[in-house]
Amino acid sequence: MPEPFLEIRGLQSGYGDVQVLWDISIAVQRGEIACIVGSNGAGKTTLLRTISGLLPPRGGSIRLAGAEIGGLDPDQVLSRGVAHVPEGRRLFKGLSVQDNLLLGAYLRRDKAEIAKDLDFVYDLFPILKERQGQDATTMSGGEQQMCAIGRGIMSRPELLMIDELSLGLAPRLVERLSAALLEINRTGLTILLVEQDVMTAFEIARHAFVIETGQVSMAGTTEKLGGDPKIREAYMGM
Amino acid sequence: MDILQIFVNGIVLGALYACIAVGFSLVWGVLNVINMLHGSFIILGGYLTFFAWFYLGLNPILVLPAVALLLYILGFALQYLFINKVVTAPVLTTLTLTFGLDMILYNLMTVYFTATPRRVTLDLGSIDLAGIVMPVDRLLGMGLALLLTALLYLVMRGSTIGRAIVAVRMDRQAAALMGIRVNRIYAVTFGIGALMAGAAGAVFAMVFPVTTNLTGVFLGKAFVICVIGGLGSVPGALVGGLALGVIESFAGFYLGPQHAITVGFLLMLILLVVRPTGLVGVKGYE
Repeated sequence: MPEPFLEIRGLQSGYGDVQVLWDISIAVQRGEIACIVGSNGAGKTTLLRTISGLLPPRGGSIRLAGAEIGGLDPDQVLSRGVAHVPEGRRLFKGLSVQDNLLLGAYLRRDKAEIAKDLDFVYDLFPILKERQGQDATTMSGGEQQMCAIGRGIMSRPELLMIDELSLGLAPRLVERLSAALLEINRTGLTILLVEQDVMTAFEIARHAFVIETGQVSMAGTTEKLGGDPKIREAYMGM
Repeated sequence: MDILQIFVNGIVLGALYACIAVGFSLVWGVLNVINMLHGSFIILGGYLTFFAWFYLGLNPILVLPAVALLLYILGFALQYLFINKVVTAPVLTTLTLTFGLDMILYNLMTVYFTATPRRVTLDLGSIDLAGIVMPVDRLLGMGLALLLTALLYLVMRGSTIGRAIVAVRMDRQAAALMGIRVNRIYAVTFGIGALMAGAAGAVFAMVFPVTTNLTGVFLGKAFVICVIGGLGSVPGALVGGLALGVIESFAGFYLGPQHAITVGFLLMLILLVVRPTGLVGVKGYE
């Protein structure tokens, strides 16, 4: 096994008096799609928030390409190549689709390359180009998710973390977004997907980590885990 | 005096009011801080412009950008060093802090600069257009005020920093995920608020006498304008400012100048009950 691109060891995190993550360890290889699954309240979102610097870790380490990024501020984590597409899209109201996308490139100064990436996003999701002047929060849920993913890509990250890709979206749209993620992944971008919908996650990810009450309860290839009767019963309703 | 003349007087005054309120509105809208320093920032801008003109013989229009820059630095520093420490606290906390800072700034100005009313006298005469008489310095003041307001609008709409300010206003955490350093944007926003106040003060000093006794009056007007026009938007401040200017102009003529301010506040109270979002309403930003 090569050295993992993202390696988390013994991570602990939480809010105030409440500890949410207890000793989380995961590893993501460069260029793959990995997923974190688990039920509501298991700590998936807290994990992403701790990686991206919104929450300070209380213990353990977060390494990106061998360098510690745990405890850095969000702008420092982003400039090291980790983008976080938050749960619920969180697009900026009152700003156009294009302005939202450009905010993704806030830290970049390479204007020509930003324009190129904007074209890439518009090619990936042509509907966004049609709606580029519209207030982003007035679009449908699926279009907003496209915009949120596009905004994440605009920082030109090496690792894209997406929290709840499928939440509240029709199956047809989820398929469309999954196809887009596979396409982005082919450009070499590593993707860490957090999902409640295990079926969707396992379809596109190679490795999976199951989180229960703030701990990794199972890990392995999605192929193997997808055949596990316990997983099938608990998360896939089979 | 005919109605058209009163109306034009009101519009000219209203343009100055808009410029006074726009920075206050921005800070309130983005930081949720009611900046009690705003009136003192305006007077400081006016005083500095006067001193540069009176003692150094400089053209006040050329002094204006320098005064604006100084106020920006002062505002940025105050936010970065003090207000950022409590910016997420309930609004009463930040209000108390800016009130305290205002006491310091106000009294420093009164002690070292005195409260003597001061005015830059440009002696540009007046023009008569189809029976409407208007001093040229007031027209110049209106032009400058509208120009400054338009500039702020363009910066908010079209620049990276403007987008970042709106992003922080709308969703602080999502903004942080874009790599925006939220506390820095707060300081920049407060700096811009101070800059607009200082520039407005510079313009005001060319048209009316300014004195530290007026800090509270200016603060009150900024407050009223924000409520009338709607919070946190440049068009809101513009509409609110023009509305207040015209209302005060008419009220001053028909009821006497002593009642002009009362009518403004009365209108604010009515709007608070009938239409709390203001005339322009809260719709995103600008």
